[in-house]
Amino acid sequence: MLEGKIMDRNQIGKWLKNPSKMANKYSFHVVYFCTGCGIIEIPPTITTRWDAERFGIIPVATPRQANLFLITGYVSTKTLKPIIRTYEQMPEPKYTVAFGSCPINGGMYYDSYNTIKSLDKYIPVDGYIAGCMPRPEAIFIGITHLWKLIDMDKADGYKRYREDYEFYRENQEQLFGELDWPPLFQNKES
Amino acid sequence: MNIIAIFISPLIALITGMFFLGISRKIMARLQWRYGPPVIQPVIDVIRSFSQMSISHGSLFDFGIILSLTGSFVLTLFLPIGELCPLTSGGLLVILYLMLLGPFGLALSGAAAANPNSSIGISRKFLLSLAYEVPLLLVLLAVMTRYNTISLVEIVKIQASTGWAFGSWTLVLSGIAYFLILPAILGVRPFEVIKASQEISSGPIAEFGGKHLAFSTLQHALHMFVGLALFVDIFLGGWTLFGLLDFLSGTVWVVVLGIVIFLLKMLVVLVIGIFINAVYPRYRIEQAMNYLLKWPTLISFIGLIIVVLVK
Repeated sequence: MLEGKIMDRNQIGKWLKNPSKMANKYSFHVVYFCTGCGIIEIPPTITTRWDAERFGIIPVATPRQANLFLITGYVSTKTLKPIIRTYEQMPEPKYTVAFGSCPINGGMYYDSYNTIKSLDKYIPVDGYIAGCMPRPEAIFIGITHLWKLIDMDKADGYKRYREDYEFYRENQEQLFGELDWPPLFQNKES
Repeated sequence: MNIIAIFISPLIALITGMFFLGISRKIMARLQWRYGPPVIQPVIDVIRSFSQMSISHGSLFDFGIILSLTGSFVLTLFLPIGELCPLTSGGLLVILYLMLLGPFGLALSGAAAANPNSSIGISRKFLLSLAYEVPLLLVLLAVMTRYNTISLVEIVKIQASTGWAFGSWTLVLSGIAYFLILPAILGVRPFEVIKASQEISSGPIAEFGGKHLAFSTLQHALHMFVGLALFVDIFLGGWTLFGLLDFLSGTVWVVVLGIVIFLLKMLVVLVIGIFINAVYPRYRIEQAMNYLLKWPTLISFIGLIIVVLVK
């Protein structure tokens, strides 16, 4: 999947053709959701050793300014609520990447009573970085895969969330009972 | 000519401001032994912000950021960029008034957002500007008294014949005082208390996303340009360069070269500012106020007394 030249930031033709897509690719403002042990891999990624800023990836303080949501590590039932709220506050287009094996299938918490096994049931996830823990290089490989997905219009998590909102909301309500915030989207059919 | 200048000078200000934002990120990265983002990274960020959906918190929220951006655009019309100065009436007094519009607009829209972090950021912004306006007023008073005029164009012209204000012994103290408060005007470290992202989630712009964020980035770029341009115009002689351009006077080349020299001078001041930004940690707000109301105020007051006594 990664043959050839991946970085096309300097190709002016592509910029003129679709500026918003290119700008979304090369300006990831990231909200790091610091759950579990994955956050320990983030400081070397964004500082001197690996320097994510050369690809335009910088951490921001609020979800309003972000377009990439990185969930680093296991998701307990209690932290899922802030994750959903943070995700809903981000402006579209927005991308989610789950980091480590815990959000994929529970990882080492596979039999825990208060850990989410599959994050994809509650918010749409555009990509996973597997490993326990993934090294910073894996984050960059994940980012290049995300570039490819954006290029092919396959990073459409935010569209799926809009279309299948009832499914996600149902799963969330099944877990929490009554949610204390109103639905984000009102479906037209109902 | 004047109508063309009205379109050109905000454009120059905007492009230069965005370039300065990019180059400051690059230089910061190189100082930290990183490769750093490309220089056009702020432009990419702005394009991305414009392409994103934005969330509004009411009409005041939209109006405030527009007011802030418009105020900064109008302010650039009153600054001589090289020999280009579309609006000359009012001079320094108009600039002093218009400099308040930027923070005021941001405060309006931050207040409409009703986020506690924005409120803290706004209160810090006004406290900080209260602290640096006192030495700024003293500095500008000294300059206006020394040159006997309120017009910026006149001040630049006088410096062309008598040498830079920063080099004359009567105004050197005022120049030093302005340089000491320059980081506070630009909002960089050690006075980065307003947008302290680790502390209060980027302060007044905490609720800004999409187009609002893009507008606030553009406003920040213009504000940076204005703070630096004012310093270069008042103390570093604007577009003049030791009389080297005298043989070209009267031609169109002196306008073009004047703009280039002016921007290069601004770049030098900016790079020194970035070095200060890179090595200093952040003050707390009361430490910043203590510092600003003590040393720059004292130095600018002594400078004003010297100017009055010499006259």
